[in-house]
Amino acid sequence: MKTPVVEVSNVKKVYGKAGENQSYALNGVSFTIHEGEFVGIMGPSGSGKTTLLNVISTLDQATEGMVRIAGSDITKMKQGALSDFRSQKLGFIFQDFNLLENLTIYENIALPLSLQGVTSRQIGPKVQKVAETLGITAILHKNPAEVSGGQKQRCAAARALVHEPAIILGDEPTGALDSKNATSLLTAMTNLNQEHGVSIMLVTHDAYSASYCERILFIQDGEMYKEIHRQSSREDFYREILDVLADLGTTKA
Amino acid sequence: MLFKLSMSGLRSKYKDYIVLLAGLVMSISIFYMFQTLAMNKAFIEANAMIGPIQFVFYAGSVLLSIVTFFYILYANSFLLSLRQKEFGMYMTLGARKNKITRLMFMETVVIGLISLVIGIAVGVGLAQVIGSMLMKELEFNSDGYHALYLPSLIVTAIFFTALFLISAIMNTIKMLRVTVLQLVHADVQTDKIAKRGKKTVFAAILSIILLLIGYASMIFMTYLQQLGVIIALITITSGTYLLFMTFLPLIILAMKRNKKRIEKGLNAFTYAQLNFRINSLTKVLATVTMLIALSAGSITAGMSFKNNIMIMVDGADYYDVTLHNPTKAEKELLASIPFTEQKEYRYKVSDKGIYYLKDDLMNHPPRIMIRASKEDFGKTKVPDAELPTGAEIRGEKNDKHGPQMPNDWYEAMEMIQPYYVYKGERVIIADQQMYDRVQGKEGVALLGKSDQFDAHLSTWKQIDAMQKSKLKLTSDQYINTKYSNYTSFRAFSAGTVYMGFFLGIAFLAMMASCLMFKILTGASKDIHRYEMLRKIGVRRELLMKSMYKELFYVFLFPAIIGIIHVLIGMEMFSFILVHPYFRVWLPILIFLVIYAVYYFITVQLYRGIVMPRKK
Repeated sequence: MKTPVVEVSNVKKVYGKAGENQSYALNGVSFTIHEGEFVGIMGPSGSGKTTLLNVISTLDQATEGMVRIAGSDITKMKQGALSDFRSQKLGFIFQDFNLLENLTIYENIALPLSLQGVTSRQIGPKVQKVAETLGITAILHKNPAEVSGGQKQRCAAARALVHEPAIILGDEPTGALDSKNATSLLTAMTNLNQEHGVSIMLVTHDAYSASYCERILFIQDGEMYKEIHRQSSREDFYREILDVLADLGTTKA
Repeated sequence: MLFKLSMSGLRSKYKDYIVLLAGLVMSISIFYMFQTLAMNKAFIEANAMIGPIQFVFYAGSVLLSIVTFFYILYANSFLLSLRQKEFGMYMTLGARKNKITRLMFMETVVIGLISLVIGIAVGVGLAQVIGSMLMKELEFNSDGYHALYLPSLIVTAIFFTALFLISAIMNTIKMLRVTVLQLVHADVQTDKIAKRGKKTVFAAILSIILLLIGYASMIFMTYLQQLGVIIALITITSGTYLLFMTFLPLIILAMKRNKKRIEKGLNAFTYAQLNFRINSLTKVLATVTMLIALSAGSITAGMSFKNNIMIMVDGADYYDVTLHNPTKAEKELLASIPFTEQKEYRYKVSDKGIYYLKDDLMNHPPRIMIRASKEDFGKTKVPDAELPTGAEIRGEKNDKHGPQMPNDWYEAMEMIQPYYVYKGERVIIADQQMYDRVQGKEGVALLGKSDQFDAHLSTWKQIDAMQKSKLKLTSDQYINTKYSNYTSFRAFSAGTVYMGFFLGIAFLAMMASCLMFKILTGASKDIHRYEMLRKIGVRRELLMKSMYKELFYVFLFPAIIGIIHVLIGMEMFSFILVHPYFRVWLPILIFLVIYAVYYFITVQLYRGIVMPRKK
């Protein structure tokens, strides 16, 4: 049995004050992600998947319930400690890349390391290594504005990875990419997961992206709806996902 | 319909519009304030110590116009950037381009007119408040200055109307050139970082050469006269702009190259922000530098003229007081003053003249001014010639006999025995024997020197009044005491001091609004950067530190160069001020304190925009 990286138990997130019109963005969600897993979270718009991601990524606080990441209970942490936690244990890949366009790609990737006080001498090799893994060595000296969307997202992945976080959180990372770039990014992520044992959690509404995962959690109206595991080829898994999504629509109605 | 839409768009961005309007109002009111002085010929000519003062004001007007011109152009391009996206949307919905451009044109002009009206109103108010405050503070009275001055008002109105028309046309042209798509995506366009080549290095060197020429012409102003002012104005203004456009980005780039420094904490981000900011701020920073130079320069000049009063007074009279036969009341007043030096000379008044005892003069000789050259100004010496018995001054010319009075002693006796005490009576030097023989009333002349003339002004005033009543002089009779010298010098410089402070405050306000305006208008573009950094786990304190550091450099460079301008520029006044650099640190320190306060306020406002408090 592998150790759990993310443990979410009975998490609730309520908007609005008590007594007024309360809406449950999350209503008692529980699941666990183990080390080295590649997990997808799917659900239609408004299902609460972004809220879930925000809670796990410590950007938002759960109203109720417990979230443990790499053994620490993040629901009890203070603002400053949460910042440090994010910078050390989490890696983010956002839909809109979120690279700093006034830094070179190299500097963007090096930023998490220099934030943690890694010395300049050690930063170079680490950035080089992660850049090789993602195949972006040639563009390290360029500015983000000079490279394509796919390359930008690989750089964002490299930045998420460089400080060896406990888990990488992806928020629709293929959302702004064309299909070719999306495939190449997903292949790279799969590669990271399988060869380097990086744990990844991916939030998406795109069945194609999700089909690269090993396991998919579906949520609807803030509750866990279904969980499926990939047993055979990616293509079959893709069809299976589409079936679940079709069900999701009908059961609701 | 479109008009209605655009009004609602305007309302939704009212915060940005307030920043814009505030900036415009500030620049208009300051331009007006300057003109109330510059165009009031009668006032400045009556009150300035500097001969070609009118010319100095012309030069100042030109400089202020240039600075204002850049400022207004920038403000209006900001207005365009506020509206771009919205106008793009109207166009995608089918609004015709010429209608949109007309809308843009109208909006620029309307905003201009609104700010013109408010600006002039604020300007009149400010001129009134600052003017009367300074007059009270400096004990300077003049009915010549008018806060509401029609010629200035007309010039201000014409100047800004023209500026707004120009910028409205420029905005329209810009609108006509861009495509709908560019408009819609106006806010996602990344800021380009310009690449720099050999040309930049050349221009950087040129900027330094220009500045050196400007500095040289200020230092040799005495020889160059008005030509020097013109040369300095052109070279320093263009040199400053060029310096900020070329040299500064090179410095920042060099700072960025230091890998060890960059890869520590958030430095990579801080310096990248700085690099980007310096590139986009070059013209504004140069403008700010010029305004700092003008503001600190005016204040320093004002203070120097104020300090100059004491230097001139001390240079004209060494002793603070000369008193003959002090009364009891006078003695009491004298006792309250900590004299460092006191001299007493006995004399007898007879019908033939006033006989001074030579021994007293020789044993405790009074100090007299060395007036040989300009460098000796304010220095004193003891008369070095022998004082011959029987030498005399004053009295009827044809009665003159006895040995020649040496020049030094002539001066000393004129000081010991001021003209107003015994009018034109003959003064004769007598040795002890001669003195004993003279029949007459004995008297004593008293000289006193303290180090704190300006701390006891009211005492001197009282003593002067007592002397006048004792000597039966009318109260408006002029007597050449040190105190009356002081009052006339002060009256003489007050106008110049007043102008210096008035302009200093005006330029300071404009500088403040200029830099703050630029930083705050650019801030919304930085929001997502700070948000992203927070997401990847940068502590708030670290982000704050980065902001302080970044803006510190932004504030630092104009301050350094502006103050260098001032320090060298003060040399210009050496033809009229004895020591232009006397206590120069004081106004500069005051200026730096205000500047620092203003830096903290800007950082706080900036933080409020890019890093709002928790939701």
